[in-house]
Amino acid sequence: MSTPAIEIQNITVRFKGKTIWKNFSMQVSTGEKVVLDGRSGIGKSTIFQCLMGFVAPEKGAVLINGRALTPESIWTLRTQVAYVPQEADLGSGQLNQWFEAPFAFKVNYSIRKNLDRLPELLDRFLLSTDLLDSDVSRLSGGEKQRMAIISAILLERKIFLLDEPTSAMDRVAGKAVLDFFRSIPDTTILAVSHDPAVLDLADRVVNVS
Amino acid sequence: MGIVNIGIKPLAAFYLLLIFPLAIMLWFKVPIIGRTLIALVRMTLQLLFVGFYLQVVFDLNSPWLNILWLVVMVTVADFSIARGCDLKPGKFALPLFTALAAGTAIPLLAFVGPLLRRPNIMDAQYVIPIGGMILGNCLRADIIGIKNFYNAIEKSEKVFLHALAQGARLHEAIRPYLRDACQAALLPTVATMGTIGLVALPGMMTGVIMGGADPMTAIKYQIAIMIAIFSGTSITVILAILMTIKSSFTPYGTLDQHAFKGRS
Repeated sequence: MSTPAIEIQNITVRFKGKTIWKNFSMQVSTGEKVVLDGRSGIGKSTIFQCLMGFVAPEKGAVLINGRALTPESIWTLRTQVAYVPQEADLGSGQLNQWFEAPFAFKVNYSIRKNLDRLPELLDRFLLSTDLLDSDVSRLSGGEKQRMAIISAILLERKIFLLDEPTSAMDRVAGKAVLDFFRSIPDTTILAVSHDPAVLDLADRVVNVS
Repeated sequence: MGIVNIGIKPLAAFYLLLIFPLAIMLWFKVPIIGRTLIALVRMTLQLLFVGFYLQVVFDLNSPWLNILWLVVMVTVADFSIARGCDLKPGKFALPLFTALAAGTAIPLLAFVGPLLRRPNIMDAQYVIPIGGMILGNCLRADIIGIKNFYNAIEKSEKVFLHALAQGARLHEAIRPYLRDACQAALLPTVATMGTIGLVALPGMMTGVIMGGADPMTAIKYQIAIMIAIFSGTSITVILAILMTIKSSFTPYGTLDQHAFKGRS
């Protein structure tokens, strides 16, 4: 049996004195598309925060591609995972500079040529290349979500954590995004969504209520 | 030509000038009268204490006593910065002390040593006032720089975390915030340098002229002190931020709320 892309082992997460998760476990195999379903506010996004090392579980372990998430490993493991939050905050400045920014990080130097794919990806996600010269603060929520997904694709991530990925998009834009993910079967996806179109993409739906 | 001494009675009478600000505050109900009165009492008592102490320090002019005085000043400034930036003193006293000591000592030693060529490098007449001026500016710059740095990261937490998610190491993720914090901390000195002499005669120059020196000597002192202050503030700000990072971020690169007062 191959190593799961994502493995959560009995984690207990407490935030501001409140227990969000107690002894929660789950696995996502490599290439599998899993959608977490459950009522809002239950803490589904906290699972993503744990997977990115932004929230440390009080108990239990998180493994990415079989490697436990520790203060030493986190810096490497983050380069294997793309996290697209529900409300992506792209900061300020020109969009083309925003796309270039992560390639100034040492770990991404060698893949800078991927920026050449930007026009093709923008077109595929129904976005105009004219947007590249505009300020990121002027983008709509749906455009920001798609930009964040494109940036993750340019960084060659193999695991996607998508938090309500189509929530700010119209049906056509949402379809373009989901069609893209259907076209890359090797990519592992763990998504949180109530959108039937996203649920339709899933190999498995996990109810966390 | 020496400076004219001020008598105790005329100085006491000079406090009457405070009638104007206090009357304005009362009339317009500016809600800082209590704070103002406390600040006036503190100013008087602190300066009287310092005056008596400095009299002794100047009379003895012992290098060790002068160093001790500087260390006490740096320590007081150290805790003021921790308090002003909501940092827990237990965690940050040492790194802030080191940053302040370096930012003060490097330009101070260059001033008294190679520039003034004093035989006694720890001469109280120069070390204490010049050290105090550099330290005072370092204190202000550190508070502006550190507050700006941590507030900006907290305010744009999503953007900061996104940089980490995109593969940034901590030193790469903090770089834009460090740049902005340095700019905010150094801008007041840059602005002062740009207008000095035009808007107001600076304190040190005034003091040197009143002490009996000719204006050209006073100007040379003023130029030197501005360079010393600018160098000192830049050294201390960058060191203060870099040295506090180890205690203010978790091993995962996120801000450690336990490092700040009233947040955990």
